[in-house]
Amino acid sequence: MIAGLGLTAVGKVYGPTPAQFAAEAVRRAVADAGLRLADVDGLLTSSGVTGGISVDLQRDLGLTDLRMLSHLQSYGATAATMIQVASLAVTSGTASVVACVFADSPLGPGRGAGAAYGTRRAPAGWWGLLGASGLVGANPPYALAARRHMTRFGTTTEQLGHVAVAQRAWAALNPVAQQREAITLADHQASRWIAEPLRLLDCCLVSNGGVAVIVTTAERAAGLQQPAVHVLGWAQSHPGHYLRRHPDFGLVTGAATAGPAALAMAGVALADVDVVELYDCYTFTVLVSLEDYGFCAKGEGGPFVASGVLGPGGKLPLNTGGGQLSGYYLWGMTPVAEAIVQVRGQGGERQADRHDIALVSGNGGVLDHHATLVLASAAGAS
Amino acid sequence: MTVGPVARDAATAEFFDGTAAGRLLLRCCRAGHFSEPPAEQCTTCGSTDLAWAAAEGGATLVSWTVVWGRPSGDSEPERTVLVIAELDEGPWWWSQLVGADPAGLAVGQRLRVEFRRATEEDEAVPVFVLGDVTGRDRHG
Repeated sequence: MIAGLGLTAVGKVYGPTPAQFAAEAVRRAVADAGLRLADVDGLLTSSGVTGGISVDLQRDLGLTDLRMLSHLQSYGATAATMIQVASLAVTSGTASVVACVFADSPLGPGRGAGAAYGTRRAPAGWWGLLGASGLVGANPPYALAARRHMTRFGTTTEQLGHVAVAQRAWAALNPVAQQREAITLADHQASRWIAEPLRLLDCCLVSNGGVAVIVTTAERAAGLQQPAVHVLGWAQSHPGHYLRRHPDFGLVTGAATAGPAALAMAGVALADVDVVELYDCYTFTVLVSLEDYGFCAKGEGGPFVASGVLGPGGKLPLNTGGGQLSGYYLWGMTPVAEAIVQVRGQGGERQADRHDIALVSGNGGVLDHHATLVLASAAGAS
Repeated sequence: MTVGPVARDAATAEFFDGTAAGRLLLRCCRAGHFSEPPAEQCTTCGSTDLAWAAAEGGATLVSWTVVWGRPSGDSEPERTVLVIAELDEGPWWWSQLVGADPAGLAVGQRLRVEFRRATEEDEAVPVFVLGDVTGRDRHG
């Protein structure tokens, strides 16, 4: 059960270190749940591009005699993975109240998003060779993946643009979103190339901030102040295609196997899913994940996202907070946090009408690491 | 941009000896399966008994992207073409395509390996150019 959610100020928030954002997120999540810090007996930490978070967070929070403490890393899949590990811990009795936290602080005054994520790797060895060849940062490999999808299935930049436009419309309804000004498909098409076929508006934001989630037992969650969010199903998939020869690179992701496995564990059919919160480092990631989960057939993600199903009022509420493209980018915690808000029914203007079952994805590396969660309200879990 | 600077380390020393001599060295097991240069075990059979073997230098285009530099002032942004290429021996290699107009690129186009250095002090980096391997380019 998820009993607490803590989100710090996000975006261009300068000053706090990643560890300070993380500690603040945990304090807020504990307060949100109606617990005290001393109730926390398990802590899972996760850091972003700037690092700076470790098991030392225990001391920052003054936590003593923890029964579980570890730092996890599967990049963008870590957040959903932490929820899985915490759920296993509370059901096995390893711990009873587990705080899962991610924070990052890549932005500084006068330091652009490109500088934050485009840092050239140490110019030695195999990684140095990759950088020397021009493969610096995540944009080029994701562009190579998207191009494969386009050449194989006929996917177009305009279709990718539909994802960006729909998510911006959701972001307009989210008070914490970084980018809330409406955009059109023409704006998307006029945005500059980053790495063809990806334009500026195909790429996620860069954000400072932290998110923490409190996972506990059903018994403990029952008496707390927030509506409990059930963790009904989970699964991971780590394809390992990047930088190796694999025919599926850019065409099929880990969602194709982890999605059905998580839904089976939850005892939920895809048609029962009310809200979808997908890792959206790029518009393309959304499109290919929708195919892999089975919302449309493989190769038909382009026509599907362009068909009007996305955005407020559409029949598929997807990335309802604006996602990483327009909301804020705190790796896998962006979709996890928004799913919790939606399942609780606390989305305000952006609340989906039906919100009993949410499907959440995490994606790390270059489509290397995938994790799926199925979250549900009390009604959805019964 | 052409290629950036890169130095050798213990794991890449023999590979860069190869590029210095104009050879793209792959890993090859006793059964004759080729693997990517960084492979620690054969990607086909799992063998750890791997030797270096030079690629012929021919490849086909799997995917490509044009990376645009940040716009500054009146100058045209710098553009770099990066590709995934399937070497004729089987492995994929991710690098730069130099001297090509990206407008005409298509999956399956023939490429061949060449080498570029950032400076004389840096190691030679395998890149691709459009066109097939000729007899003169072949090396054994």
